[in-house]
Amino acid sequence: MKTVINEQNRRNFAAQVEAMLHDKLAKCYQCGKCSAGCPVNFEMDYTPNQIIKMTELGMEDKVLNSKTIWLCVSCNTCSTRCPKGFEVTGIMDVLREIAEKKGIVSKVEKEVQMFHEVFLDNVKSNGRIFELELVGKYKLKTRHLFRDMFLAPKMLEKGKLKMHGEKIADLNQIAKIFKDFE
Amino acid sequence: MKLAYYPGCSLKGTSFEYEVSLLKILETLNIEVKEIPDWNCCGASAAHSINHNLSVALPARNLAIAENGGYESVLAPCAACSNRLKSADYELKTDDILKKKITDSLEMPYKAEMSINNMLEFLIGVVGKDKIKSMVKKPLSGLKVASYYGCLLVRPPKIMKFDDPENPVTMDELVALTGAEPVDYSFKTECCGAINSLSKPDVVMALTGNILYDIKKHGADLVVVACPLCHSNLDVRQREIERKYDEKLGLPVLFITELLGLSFGITPKDLAIDGHMVAADRVLKKIEGLPNQQ
Repeated sequence: MKTVINEQNRRNFAAQVEAMLHDKLAKCYQCGKCSAGCPVNFEMDYTPNQIIKMTELGMEDKVLNSKTIWLCVSCNTCSTRCPKGFEVTGIMDVLREIAEKKGIVSKVEKEVQMFHEVFLDNVKSNGRIFELELVGKYKLKTRHLFRDMFLAPKMLEKGKLKMHGEKIADLNQIAKIFKDFE
Repeated sequence: MKLAYYPGCSLKGTSFEYEVSLLKILETLNIEVKEIPDWNCCGASAAHSINHNLSVALPARNLAIAENGGYESVLAPCAACSNRLKSADYELKTDDILKKKITDSLEMPYKAEMSINNMLEFLIGVVGKDKIKSMVKKPLSGLKVASYYGCLLVRPPKIMKFDDPENPVTMDELVALTGAEPVDYSFKTECCGAINSLSKPDVVMALTGNILYDIKKHGADLVVVACPLCHSNLDVRQREIERKYDEKLGLPVLFITELLGLSFGITPKDLAIDGHMVAADRVLKKIEGLPNQQ
């Protein structure tokens, strides 16, 4: 496996992650407890402790294009159990955010990434989530038009799918929040 | 004490049963809560997954509206919302630079002096066990109930500061107050797959299947939850899980507010229990003298 390519790049990447994380990568001593307890480890290409070490080694491309960062559901089991108190869940957020800002579209887990994007678009335009619109737009974007559709009739019958969404009154403030922080 | 109520988006949509049953039991308990005016979505998992600052700023608007409206406490029944509100509150208390940026953007001050409660904290801490016990008119004796906590009520412990992150018992205590028998099992705090329900359904069904089959193995009649997303995965996806793993489950999933409501003598219909995908009628028949089965 190709590891360190350029010492300056390695330092820059590790420093950027540490600054956003407010934590030190060197805290991790690779015990692997985070990976042992991870509920989605069976789907990952790199385990959480590998992601931490790879970040420290500056393997930016591999980390930012990994399945792992998008499969993590932020259940916080890893951070809760980490004997060093390292922000394992936090590093996944940081890496996703860096990938997103760099415009990296995950090749293998793009649906998870798209769901987050469509979700925030929905918040931006309504201030609240309009579930039917969210699901519709997500399906159009991923082209999984029929997946889960068999659930719809019964959900409608039970009153779970509302036909109209609510928009908040002060949408200007929501627009300002997105403008200032997006 | 002025109590603010932050419903969140799910309680106005797919998990309307949670809001109906919550408001019904609060009416019975004679406790008044006020919805935060013009509240917005907390950003849920999507915001913190791809934009940290937004994940603090979105909940901050709700918190600032509540605090400036003179409220001392916020009830967020959705586990994910309570998690995001508490996380934002924590960030605002510990990151002065981000706090200034956010309060400047919102043009509202925020002192971070309110207590933010999830459903279980509210029931145990604000309502109190004695008051709940005194309201139990129809003890649910003979009913075996498994409490499923999931992730967001208890983790991360340094921010949630609620119960034991590996073996929580608060919901089991509430179940015991209703006269039902709490069922112990292994997957109380294992993740159901949460937000990846639509984007990774196979993973979610594997995780949720583990939880449901373990509950079944331990002999529970039904499951109680305090999270709309957990409910959605355990209830809405249950038939599909039965088909995928070719083994019947038939486990109704109720919100803790519905179970309490039943023990208070409120009818299943008034608690919107008929809104769930897995019908609870057969199990509810086990409860003696329950008024109006549907």
